[in-house]
Parts: sequence; C-alpha cells; structure tokens
Amino acid sequence: MKLADMKEGDRARIVHVNGEEAVKRHLGALGFVAGTVVRVVRTSYGNMILAVHESRIAVNDATAADIEVDEV
Amino acid sequence: MANSIKIALAGNPNCGKTTLFNAITGSEQYVGNWPGVTVEKKDGVLRGHKEVVVQDLPGIYSLSPYSTEEKVTRRFLVDENPDAILNIVDGTNIERNLYLSTQLAELGLPMVMAVNMMDVVKKNGDKIDFAKISKALRCEVVGISALKKEGDMEAAEMAVALAKGGERGTGNGERGGGLRKLPDVPHVFSGSVEHAIAHIEESIQGKVPMRSIRWYAIKIFERDREIIRDLGLGVGDMKHIEEHIRDCEKELDDDAESIITNQRYDFIKKLMDKSLALNEKHKNKATLSDRIDKIVTHRFLALPIFILSLCAMWWLAVAENGPGTVLTDWANDEFLADGWHLPFTTHEVDGKDFDAAQEDFAKAEATVKAWEAGEKKASIEDEETGEVSDEWDIDEAAYKAAKEVEEPDPSKYGVWVPGIGALVSAGLEKVGVGETVKSLVVDGAWGGVATVLGFVPVIFIVFLFLAFLEDCGYMARVAFIMDRLLRKFGLSGKSFIPMLIGKGCGVPAVMAARTIENERARRMTVILATFVPCGAKTVIIAMFAALFFREQWYVAALMDVVGIAIIILGGIALKKTRFFAGEAASFVLELPAYHMPTFSGVWHHTWNRLKGYIIKAGLIIFPACVFLWFVMHFDWSLTLLGDEEIEKSILHDLGSWIAWFFSPLGFGSWQGAAASVSAEIAKEQATATLGLVAANMGGATTGANIQAFFASVSAFPKLAALSFMVFNLFVPPCMVAIAVTFREMGSKKWGWFAIAFQLFVGYVLALNAYQLGILFAGGGFGLWTAVALLVDVWCAWMVLRPDRKGGSK
Repeated sequence: MKLADMKEGDRARIVHVNGEEAVKRHLGALGFVAGTVVRVVRTSYGNMILAVHESRIAVNDATAADIEVDEV
Repeated sequence: MANSIKIALAGNPNCGKTTLFNAITGSEQYVGNWPGVTVEKKDGVLRGHKEVVVQDLPGIYSLSPYSTEEKVTRRFLVDENPDAILNIVDGTNIERNLYLSTQLAELGLPMVMAVNMMDVVKKNGDKIDFAKISKALRCEVVGISALKKEGDMEAAEMAVALAKGGERGTGNGERGGGLRKLPDVPHVFSGSVEHAIAHIEESIQGKVPMRSIRWYAIKIFERDREIIRDLGLGVGDMKHIEEHIRDCEKELDDDAESIITNQRYDFIKKLMDKSLALNEKHKNKATLSDRIDKIVTHRFLALPIFILSLCAMWWLAVAENGPGTVLTDWANDEFLADGWHLPFTTHEVDGKDFDAAQEDFAKAEATVKAWEAGEKKASIEDEETGEVSDEWDIDEAAYKAAKEVEEPDPSKYGVWVPGIGALVSAGLEKVGVGETVKSLVVDGAWGGVATVLGFVPVIFIVFLFLAFLEDCGYMARVAFIMDRLLRKFGLSGKSFIPMLIGKGCGVPAVMAARTIENERARRMTVILATFVPCGAKTVIIAMFAALFFREQWYVAALMDVVGIAIIILGGIALKKTRFFAGEAASFVLELPAYHMPTFSGVWHHTWNRLKGYIIKAGLIIFPACVFLWFVMHFDWSLTLLGDEEIEKSILHDLGSWIAWFFSPLGFGSWQGAAASVSAEIAKEQATATLGLVAANMGGATTGANIQAFFASVSAFPKLAALSFMVFNLFVPPCMVAIAVTFREMGSKKWGWFAIAFQLFVGYVLALNAYQLGILFAGGGFGLWTAVALLVDVWCAWMVLRPDRKGGSK
C-alpha cells in the first residue's frame, strides 16, 4: 500500500521508501524509515501533512506515492 | 584572535538555536556569508568570555549533503575544527533531533548536548533520563530553556570547559604522541556494519584526522561521493572497501545508505525506550497547531486566508495612505530632503498651515517666472508624474502681488527638523566649495545615497511582515498551499515566497530563493521572481500612466498581470527546455508548530535582511549614481556643462552608440537609450533620467518634455511610450538584483542565462507592444512587424510544444 492512498486520520507503518536518492536521504533524516508509524494529519488535493515523531511534515503527492506503508 | 576558542552551535531547524545564540552571545555579533556560498553565517562572542567565539551554524537535519545548508555545515565542522560542539536539541521532539546528534558525536569533537524546551517537557509531564543519553552518545547532556534563559549559559560554559581540557586535533593520523586518549565515539550499528566500518577505518588511516575517522568511515560506507573524492580514494582503494559494503547490503537486503539511516533510528528508538517516559495523556493528541492547520490549510479556506494576509501586507507596504507610503513620502520628501516638522508641534500662521503657505509660495514663484518669460498663463506640475496639476491666468497685478510673497519660514510653523539633504547643502555652502564639487556631492553622491535610503521604509515593512509570517510558522503553510499550483509551471511551493517578496524588492526576493533545495526549481525561481513589478518599477508605471494612459486606466494593473503571465508561461517554456526538463521536484517541508513570534526574534530577522540590502545597494547604487552624474555633467574634454548643454555630454555620445538597439522598439534615440541603461542602476532612474535628457525638448514642463520627446522619435508616440515602459519593466532588474542573481545562480554561465532570458522577454514584449500596436493602429506592415510575429510564433511553440522525455542528466 502507498502512503498516498491513506486518508486523513489514518495511521500507517512505513515499510519502504522509494524514489530519488537525495529525497530518500532527506526523508530518512526526518524519520521516514522502515518501522516508523506516521499519521495523516491532512490531505489537500493529493498533498499531505504527516505527523512523524513529534513533527509535522508536508509532502507532495508524488513523494507520498513513493512511500510504501502498512495500515495500522 | 588566533588563540580564541571556537564553539560551533548546531541543531535542527526550529529547535531554538537562534534564541540560544542571541541569549549567550552579547552585543558583539556579526552576520556574514560563507565564502563562496550564500548561506548565512553568524558569529558572536560568548558573554563574559572574550576569548570564546560562538558560531551559529544553519539549522540542519543531518550531515548528509542534501541541502546547501547541510553541505556548508558539515564542511565547516570537518575542515574548520571547532574546539567543541554545542548541539541544541528540541526536548519535545527528541527522537528526531537525536538523528543529527548521533552523527555529530561521531565527529569525535568534544560535545555538549543542550536539551531545549525543558519547561514544555516538564509541563507535559514527560521525563528524559539525561544520564542514559549521555552514556550512550558519549557526550555531556544538560537540560535548558532558551526562551526562559534557564541553563543556557551553563551549557555554553560546559562546552568551553570541554574545549579547554579537550582533545585537540593533532593532524593526520597523529595520536598525539600516544599520550592522550582518543575521544570515545558511540557505536550505533549492528555487528556486520560495524565490521565493515572497522575495515574502512583501517584503510583510510593516515588520510583523515584520527579523531573523526569513524565519521569518515561511515560516510564512505554510505558511498558519499563528496567525501570519497576529497580523500582521493582511487578505484583500487574503493574496490576493497566496496566488497565489505556489498556484503552488508546482501546480508541486510538494503542499500548502504538506508542501512545506516535505519540502524541509526533503531539505536535511537532503543535508547528512547530506556530514557524517555512520555506522559500517556497527551500522546497523539491533536495539538493547538493541528487545530489551527485545520482551518489554515482547509481545502476551501486556505486560499482566501492567504490572499487576505497578502492584502494586509500590500496595504501596509504600498497602499495609498498606508503606513508604507506615508513613511516613504516622509523619508524621500522630508527626512532626506529639506526637513520636517515634529508631529503635534505644528500650528498655523495667518490662518494657514505650512503646506498651504508653501503652495502659495510655489504659485507665486510660478507666476513671477511665467510673467517674466512673457506668458499669460502660469502652471504648476506634479513633481513625480510631471503632469500639470494647476493652471491659471496671470496679469501684471498678479505678478506684482506674487513678487511680494515670501518664502515661508518652516521654523515659524512648528518644531522644524532640517532634512539631511538640506544639511548637506548647507554644510557645503559653509565650507565654501566650488560649483563642481557641490554638484558632485549633492546631485551625484548624495543623490545615490538618497536613492538607496528612499526605499528603506517599504522594504522594512515588507521584511517585518515576512519575518512575522516566517517566525510564527505560517510561511511554511503558504508553501504547502501553493505547491499544487506552482508545480504545474515547473516551480515548487517554496517558489512563491520569493515572488511575494518580489513585489516589494527584487533583491531580497532573489535571495529568498535559496531555501529551495531542488536546483532546477531554485534557478527557475531566481530567473522568474523579478518579473513581478517591484516597488521601484511602480514609479515608472505611475509616471507613464499619468502622462500617456489617462484614458486607459487598466494599464497599471495590466502590468502586474503581464508579470504573472510571464512567470507562468516562462515557467512552462523553461520546463520544456533541456536545461530544466525532468521529474518535478519533490516537496518535503517541515511545518513548525505555530507560536507567537518574539519581538527580538522578528526584529533580528528584519534588521539582518535590511542591513544586507542597505550595504549591497549602497556598494552598487552609490558609485553608479556618481558615474551617471559624471557622464551627464561632463563632456569628453572633462569640462563641466551647464544645465542646457546635456547634448554635449558624454552620456549623449554613449546613448547614441547604442540607440540602434532600441530603434525597432520605437525609442531609438540617445535619450531613450540613456534612460533605459541608467534604469539598470535603479529602476526609477528611468523616469528621472528621461526627465533630464528630454529637458531641451522645448516643453513648458518635464511632463510636456517627455511627451514631446516620444513625439519626436516616433509617429506613434503613445506606442513608443508603452514600449519604453514595458521594456524597462520586464528586462533584467536593477544592477543590485543582477549581482544577487549571479551569486544565487551559482555560476557565471547560469547568471548570463538568467540575464539573457530576461533581456529577451523584455525586448520581445516591447517589440510586440510597438510593432503590433502600429499594425493595429493602421500603420502598415513592415520588416519588424514580420520579425515580431515570427518571434511570437517561436515563443508560442516553446510554451505549447510537448514535454521532453527524461532529464538533462
């Protein structure tokens, strides 16, 4: 399942992050690594605001589609 | 300060680093840029410790080379050898923050971790076990609250103590004669990874400083290209290392970089399980920020809220009778010019206030001048727009009465503060300098300074407002809201902020583009942001609207629309060239929690930017104005020319040489060329210079002279004027903005690309305005009409052609 398919309020555990090296590296630093649970705070025309650890991270739809998750 | 102690302040963005920096450094702070790159660098002297310099590094998430900030920071930490690191950590988001801390610890420098926001942590009922973290990361850990100034100095002083007693770098591979113990660094990875790292350490021994060898080894394990290149590791060295890395990748079924990232987080997670006790009550609860975001980033409400806040900013900065305009008028017409009355001290004399008395005097002066010139009508023109604002009949009686009117003495009408311009003139008179020197100082040098300072009020208000929006956390949401839309034009949500600033001034606009990590989107933003007509360009628009387009009320607003259209169409066209083709930039941005900005925070932010503008503008505009004054007032034999002799000036000849370039645009004369080129000094110079070079056109007023000038160069003066205005609005911005563009583009080649693109756009727009205008006005079809149409077809093709497949790499 992709993070992009989640709805507002859903919680999901990250399985794998795909995509461009540099972006993956940045996402990793922000806590998007396998095993982390994220919560979808808001969706807006495909873009998302996510709760990761105690921070809120905004990502665009393409980036959200690159993150594989399991729903929790 | 050769033997001073350097403490590097490092941490995530929005963790309170700047608050801490301001609190622990005294008044001695200096902001500079890193050599070669445009990332802000701040140094300050630690309070009560003259020998200690605190260096505020940019906020970063990791020591991997993702953004410019990260590259610069790690370069600094590795090459500049600070004596200790003060790592500031957000206690309310400690897990994420420790990701950077583990990397900093691996550098092997003495380190103190200051866990910030302890007041909030305590209020939430959470508990953090510092001793366990300290043991795991092999560094000192203290709790502080930077905002409440609790524990901040203690943390800094602890870092100083560590630096003084700590292990100093002893160069490549030296173990300090074996006397000193190597600093301990944390080991956070699993067995096989540690094994590979140990092998890498072995093979790079002697090539890197011993204390940081582990950090280097991990970077090499991650195949960090920059580090591998810097160490000069050849194919032979890497072959052996690669084997170990590949073994790990095979065993753990992941790429090396992800292995490191994942295991770092695993390590932190295990550490947090032992040392962090979260209060269950507030866990996963929607915060106040989340609730604000529910409204601010709402599907339908987001845009109206954003537009409303924009309107507030424009009202503050540029609206008629808004604070920005009032301040600008005061600065230009009073503070920098003749002088001003202290508010609340003014009173009337003979039933008239000072303004009315001055107006009477101006009318009387005009009457006298007109009568003595043998005219039957006198008139007054508006200084800025050059149009006649008042006209009346005169006779001998009126002349005699006018002769009697005395210039009002401002000091009689209230407490009069002389303006700087007046003081300069008076000072020169007192010293008794010659006319040449006086003209140089007043018209040349002072004119240049006044041009720079005259824009300070508007820019100050825009900066202040933006600093507020940034500090409270809303700016990040703006980027989020606008991302969907701007993506369609090859830009990113973060591109919007530079364009917003661009309405005020292009210089900070271009500088603001540096927050965009994606190189393509950043370059496009720099190229396009200055097409938004800035504060100085509105001066041009105002003048031409008044002189030529009285009936076309929409011309002024149309220029903003044209600017936006260029950004959209230009973005689409550029995205389809091989320079900018490729996948749309991804958008990943942390949205900091909303909070009320502190006064000192907003002030620091605003002042740092404003200071930067004044210095840069001063360094470029000032000498340029002196040069312009020189070529306008002298001929080639270097004799000073009189007011009416501008046709003999050097400027006349310089303008004549390049006039051909402007011929297809309808103003191909030395005056048009000189005005357009001088507009590159500062855009509003276009109108000022035009007024001066058209002085001998025989009109009664400056406005009439300018109208006469356009009538003399073209059979379609209105179209030539439109073309002149459009050209000066949409060609490359002023010199200061160009200089900043070159810097931000990162290379001369890209700088020239930006300028060429902007020149092309401005020229083509002016060409169209003039040539197609003539065609529609029934002026016939000529060679240049054909050229204009052909160029249009080509531009349309550039915008409409299908997307390129793949990127430019």
